[in-house]
Amino acid sequence: MLSSEKNNSLTAAPRKLVIVLAVVAIVFLLTAPWVVPALSSKFWLNVISEMLIWSLFAASVNVLFGYVGLLSFGQALFFGLGAYTYAITTVHLGWGFWPAVAACIVVPTVGAGLVGLFAVRLSAHYFNILTVIFSLAFFYLAVSAKEITGGDDGLPFAAPRAELPFGWTIEFRDAGVQYFFILMVVVLCFYLKHRVVSSRLGLSLTAVRDNHLRASLVGYNVYLVRLSAFIFAGFLAGVAGMLFAIFSRYASTSYFYYTTSGEGVVYMIVGGAGHLFGPVIGATSVILLREFLSAAWENYLLVVGVIIILCTRYAPEGLAGIWAAILARLTGKGERV
Amino acid sequence: MDLIFLLAMNGLVWGLIIALIALGLSIILGLLDVINIAHGDFFMLGAVGCWFVLAAGLPFWVALILVPLVGLAFGALVQQLVIKPVQVSPSLSIVATFGLSLILQESVRATFGAAPQRISPPVSGTVELFGVNYDVYRLVAAGFASAVLAGFFIFLNKTKFGTRMRAVRLDKDMAIALGIPSNQIFMATFAIGASVAMVGGIVASPITSIEFRLGIDILPLCFMAVIIGGLGNLPGTVAAAVLISVTEGVLTAFVEPTGARIATLLFMCVVLLVRPQGLFSRG
Repeated sequence: MLSSEKNNSLTAAPRKLVIVLAVVAIVFLLTAPWVVPALSSKFWLNVISEMLIWSLFAASVNVLFGYVGLLSFGQALFFGLGAYTYAITTVHLGWGFWPAVAACIVVPTVGAGLVGLFAVRLSAHYFNILTVIFSLAFFYLAVSAKEITGGDDGLPFAAPRAELPFGWTIEFRDAGVQYFFILMVVVLCFYLKHRVVSSRLGLSLTAVRDNHLRASLVGYNVYLVRLSAFIFAGFLAGVAGMLFAIFSRYASTSYFYYTTSGEGVVYMIVGGAGHLFGPVIGATSVILLREFLSAAWENYLLVVGVIIILCTRYAPEGLAGIWAAILARLTGKGERV
Repeated sequence: MDLIFLLAMNGLVWGLIIALIALGLSIILGLLDVINIAHGDFFMLGAVGCWFVLAAGLPFWVALILVPLVGLAFGALVQQLVIKPVQVSPSLSIVATFGLSLILQESVRATFGAAPQRISPPVSGTVELFGVNYDVYRLVAAGFASAVLAGFFIFLNKTKFGTRMRAVRLDKDMAIALGIPSNQIFMATFAIGASVAMVGGIVASPITSIEFRLGIDILPLCFMAVIIGGLGNLPGTVAAAVLISVTEGVLTAFVEPTGARIATLLFMCVVLLVRPQGLFSRG
């Protein structure tokens, strides 16, 4: 009893710190369309939108690696599918906004189900390579199907306009409106991710990650657990791809290439694998770094490369891991916060 | 028919070059348990290194000696600095090599420039081969690549060091228990893998356009060779590299290059699902 009381009194200060930080972040995100242009320029509002989208993409990689222990270098496949589903349904099929969005949820999720059927059966190395190969197959397919995808030039479209009930509309031409739409979708997806990883399924994910042999022996169906994670990750990547297409009014074949997957992996590792907000921290810090460095130095990716290597060596749990370690030291507790 | 012969020959030359890269990829995966995403960039460094040597006014053969030697040292350094600290975790090591890949590409872009460059082959002219005039340099390149491949297998199978490498690949713990200096073996394996990929880059440099993205484009093909040949099956990897490259080459007579690539990818998926041990491995 004594020790727990001691812990409680010590956690009070850091817990307050976390709450203050969270409130600041929420207030900032909700007022960004007015605050950010007033402080600097509208450009930064778009940068924040971009950070939100890439956070979501990194979250997709995180679901697989951080929670179930599968490193996928092929999430670009579902990102690209999300982006192209939106572009193709609106440009070629003339669908409205909401039906297109529905398709953007269905197509990557179903795609992840199909790829997952094959991929999650394989052991680690084969899984890594097979996910890359599947995304490459779609990359080449997209490049060769010029009439549908625009080939190397990509598929541009006009700023979307979404009809709401009572004659209201969402105009994506307005950067602020677009920002709120992206924020809403990303927050919703992170809430969903939180619900999934803290559910019974989430527990079975970490059980499989930590020891898949033991997990299978105590009765978990490792194949099904991995497949569920793969499908959920595909859904998240697909939504991120759709948002990025809407945001940039463009779908590009390069979204399918393994270097796009690599970006998601980098954000996740820098931010912290296995932490709910790791991808957000990673995407935010790397993109901030990019915006500041790229203005000064063309070869800023060199710095990003060095950071990745330093991260794998000294901070394998990323910035979120460092933060958790600092909090643990402050509270005198050894466990993750 | 002439066209198909020509495409098959070109495919053979590229297949042997890809085999050089894929071999390194395979031994690094087999011994160090690392999927080296930067391996294509070692190939690119070889080509760029060759360009720098020629730009300095030195002849081609100097590049052929100098660049792989530098590559050996560079590979050893990279293994010590980047790979060794994260070798315990295969997933982290993949991420580290992705970072390495960014560093290598950006360093080359900063020094060599973003524009593609071409160099002229050290030997020019054509010879008549089955009624087709064929580029002499490509034949020399194929011969040289085959010689390096043969040298690699002799090294692996006939020397003491090669035997130790095979021992570590077969059973790491047992090899360490028997006193084989595994750290040296890991370093040497990575260095040799990097160096052989650079040889591939030098050989390929006169028949391709040299740029910092060269590695990104060739890496997927090398992975396919490793998978189709079977993980750990080195002769199988060479055979698969040549098979993929010749097949894709011949297919381009009938379909677009991307179509040929899709066909290879589908073939690889079938191999993965039906014969995950590889096309050329038993059991």
